[in-house]
Amino acid sequence: MKAARGLKLAALGILAICQRSYVTLWRQPVLIVSTMLFPVVYLLILGNSLNRQLRALPIAIVDEAGNALAAECVRGAMALESGRDLLRIMPVADREEALRGLHRGRFRAVWVLPFGLSRQGPAPSFIGDNTDRFSFDTLADSLREIWDNAASAGAQARAAPAVRLEAYPYLDYLTYLAPAVVCLAIFMGSMVSGGLQVIEDRMYGYHEGYLVTPISTGTLVAGHILAGSLVAAFAGDVVLVTILVLAPIPAPGTAAVLSALLTIFLTSLAIASVWFLLFARARRASVLRGMFGIINALLFFPSGALYPVESYPGWLRAISDVDPLTYGLRALRDVLLRGGEPSVCYAPWLFLLTFTLVCGILTRVLFRREI
Amino acid sequence: MTLSIEAENLTKRFGTFVADDAVSFAVQAGETYGILGPNGAGKTTLIRMLTTLLPPTSGRARIRGHDVVSDKTAVRAAIGTVSQAVTTDENLTVRENLSVQGKMYGLWGRFLSGRIERGLKDVGLWDRRHQVARELSGGMRRRLEIARGVLHSPQVLFLDEPTAGLDPQSRHAIWSMLEEMTETDPDLSVVLTTHAMDEADHLCDRVAIMDRGRVLCEDSPENLKRGLATGERVEIGTDREIAPADRDAIVALGAVNWQSPVAAAAQFEARHGEAVGRRAAQLLEEKGYRVLHLTIAPVTLEDVFFSYTGHALREA
Repeated sequence: MKAARGLKLAALGILAICQRSYVTLWRQPVLIVSTMLFPVVYLLILGNSLNRQLRALPIAIVDEAGNALAAECVRGAMALESGRDLLRIMPVADREEALRGLHRGRFRAVWVLPFGLSRQGPAPSFIGDNTDRFSFDTLADSLREIWDNAASAGAQARAAPAVRLEAYPYLDYLTYLAPAVVCLAIFMGSMVSGGLQVIEDRMYGYHEGYLVTPISTGTLVAGHILAGSLVAAFAGDVVLVTILVLAPIPAPGTAAVLSALLTIFLTSLAIASVWFLLFARARRASVLRGMFGIINALLFFPSGALYPVESYPGWLRAISDVDPLTYGLRALRDVLLRGGEPSVCYAPWLFLLTFTLVCGILTRVLFRREI
Repeated sequence: MTLSIEAENLTKRFGTFVADDAVSFAVQAGETYGILGPNGAGKTTLIRMLTTLLPPTSGRARIRGHDVVSDKTAVRAAIGTVSQAVTTDENLTVRENLSVQGKMYGLWGRFLSGRIERGLKDVGLWDRRHQVARELSGGMRRRLEIARGVLHSPQVLFLDEPTAGLDPQSRHAIWSMLEEMTETDPDLSVVLTTHAMDEADHLCDRVAIMDRGRVLCEDSPENLKRGLATGERVEIGTDREIAPADRDAIVALGAVNWQSPVAAAAQFEARHGEAVGRRAAQLLEEKGYRVLHLTIAPVTLEDVFFSYTGHALREA
């Protein structure tokens, strides 16, 4: 009987904290807009800026050779200009003038076809602006390909082309980024409804109203984590639906969508528990302002949101290994992009639940039910 | 009679600073008990210890028999609090604030709705139940805080400066509300801290005067006032400064605590203030002074506070 009363009190206490958290958020449209809009804007801006193929890169071609092979190279470059629109070719007669133009930012690269250009040598020289690595690499590869084609034309034996297959339907960078943006929405939502609200409650004295009630400290901690995660999960769900509508992801099945929704909820729980643990004793919003950038950098970037985690150095891999966003992101990519069965999410789900539990216990220990 | 609160040598130290120094008092069920003192007297710290928000450094306290350190959950279930801080959420409506609070105490469904309706009607906010709390005036917000504090029918209600910063009309509305509450629930004990003498005088069955962390005296407001050697406060305004010899003559009539707020006026207290005041005025006229005014007023708790602390409440 006493246990049943305790359970009822705990359930109602958690419900009350969640009710307040939700209503408070809905009465502050600015917070909703920033929570939901920020990740979508992030997706659109970052996705589109990084996703677009490079185009209209100005290069100077210095044709010192003036022979048939040089003409073949120029034709190849013109094909790239008129086809993929990768280049804007500027013929320059003088090598020195071309290099001056490169250093003044007029050209991204200078391609010199030297006197006596031939298959046996000398070969073309590529001098590129390597401050922009993307353009440099793309131009170097494309022009090398033109030279290889021109140089091998008429050769007796050509190497067999390598086989290249894609395991999944074509995904552009914007789509690759989509699950990361769901995670960003979770991060923002849990910060607004978890971290920020806990500190504001302390600053304005609202939390005194909680502290003097008979609900247990464990219930208070669980209620705050759940309240923060519900708002975060809602933000994540809205962004997920937006992505499913806007991004060219092949329609996922019901199991995949349900797995994604559960992943979003469990990731939200884990991130909300991080915020609550960090601010278990903080009393000023300036702490949050100071920490936001650091936490964002520590959780979002090591998660593999923008770049594969396998490429990270050891110390960054270590952060990535304990970062709940890594596991949320992995599960979302597996079910949404790779068409994986829900079973591929079991390990990430287990990690997220364990992580939440550990953070919850630590918060319970650190949380002071005092003024 | 059941004891609602028993505090024995309750002490709170913050480093070397002693906020409350061996405070002892008891409050009966149904009693309204005032803790009167200036800012920094240790009133709020005392309330926080009694409401489990601060652990005492030493001493002990029980609320309805439950220890505030070892049986916090039972204490929290027995008390309601209205703190100095605004603890209602300004983004929630009046009703939502009470709904959240009720659930924290295990209230639910139709029972909770009934309690909310009754509570809001008691504090005159039923018509504003759908209004967001930030749109309420200071007085209404305070009434909402009180409705929130008593929603779960506590046995002991703690009010920390319940009318601080309110206009006279709002103060009187809250006084009336508290009086009605204690009449409706004769077992409800109310402990309120205040630095307003008239509030303690008006609302409290007993008052403890605190200064610098210590309880200096404790009794009903009437007994405290009666216990003073002085009975009334007398003020005489004259056309010129009263000479020392004439002042001594008036003191000889029974005047105490002589003060001269301005040169041509005298303030003092006397057990039979009216008789002493009239004889003093007559004496001054015989000495050639023109008496411009003579005021005789009853002693207030402020005078009691002065007599115990040696300074006025506002100077503390």
